[in-house]
Amino acid sequence: MNKDKLWSPYIAGIGLGLTLLATFYVMGKGLGASSTFSLLSAVGVNAVFHDFASRLEYLVRYLGSDALLKDWILYEVIGLFIGALIGALLSRNFKIKLDRGEKMPGRTRVLTALTGGILVGFASRLARGCTSGLALTGGAQLAVGGWVFVIAMFVSGFIAAAFFRRLWS
Amino acid sequence: MIAPLFEYGIVGESTSLIIAVIIGVFFGLFLERGGLGDPHKLTGVFYLTDFAVPKVMFTAILVASFGLYLLSDLKLLDINRIWFVPAYFWPQLVGGALFGVGFLISGYCPGTAVAGLASGRIDALIMMIGVGIGSLLFAIVYPVIEGFYVFSNLGAVTLPQILGINHWFVIVFVFVFAGAMFYVMEKYEKKKV
Repeated sequence: MNKDKLWSPYIAGIGLGLTLLATFYVMGKGLGASSTFSLLSAVGVNAVFHDFASRLEYLVRYLGSDALLKDWILYEVIGLFIGALIGALLSRNFKIKLDRGEKMPGRTRVLTALTGGILVGFASRLARGCTSGLALTGGAQLAVGGWVFVIAMFVSGFIAAAFFRRLWS
Repeated sequence: MIAPLFEYGIVGESTSLIIAVIIGVFFGLFLERGGLGDPHKLTGVFYLTDFAVPKVMFTAILVASFGLYLLSDLKLLDINRIWFVPAYFWPQLVGGALFGVGFLISGYCPGTAVAGLASGRIDALIMMIGVGIGSLLFAIVYPVIEGFYVFSNLGAVTLPQILGINHWFVIVFVFVFAGAMFYVMEKYEKKKV
């Protein structure tokens, strides 16, 4: 484990909080992440199956003429990747691997990553955001929507952990 | 008042996209250095083995909340020009619950998966593909669940507004709650070592 090389979670939290505050101050909105994947998925599906995509009312909202060039959160997520890469490289924390529980076969890990991701993607659209746009941003705004989401997420995560005891051990 | 800068036209659209990348760099750096690119740490809270997620998250919420309302009270930031998270009670409750299960199974949420991929984790990339598929599935079933999606719309309300109290009472409450939680976590972690 690289545990000792990480920053204190409180220091990382203060940094993250100041980053969010700067976003409020400069942009008048908060951070985000999940909508980037919805945007990329919508643009991808539209490129390959245009007729199918244009019939999906919800998908069309992601398909503005210059959606890819002007989406603020897409640029922010590109920055997120660069920042995390800098952090991982400078601390020698970068390693190509399929990260999973000790005894989990690789094929099972592909399945858990994919199905868990599908659930997260669906849930993010239903709730109108994810941990960044709802939990962090809404939490800091003291927004009712953010806190409903945070509480539901933690309660459900604990219940799910009781059912999937050995997923990560 | 000149802030939010973008809303007051001090920062233009193309500048805002450069700022997006810069803000993202800090976002990613703090996530990765806080250990939130690692699915073991991300899911640890649910098994009571690692508390990095609630520590980073509630510290960040407190700092940003304190700053946002302080700048607003000092009239340095026009809070009416801030886009507030809207509340749709039931979709957000059900969405949050589904999200928790997906988070536990995959080991990531969308932002932390990007940090996971940036530290070399292939499973994070697979999870991100899943998020794209899940989003598409939502678009496909949208005509059926649209009624639920727009149900229980409370508007962009905040806790101080519905409780009818000053925002500083809520911030102090969150501070005390988070402080007590951090204290218990630190004690518990020391005991285990």
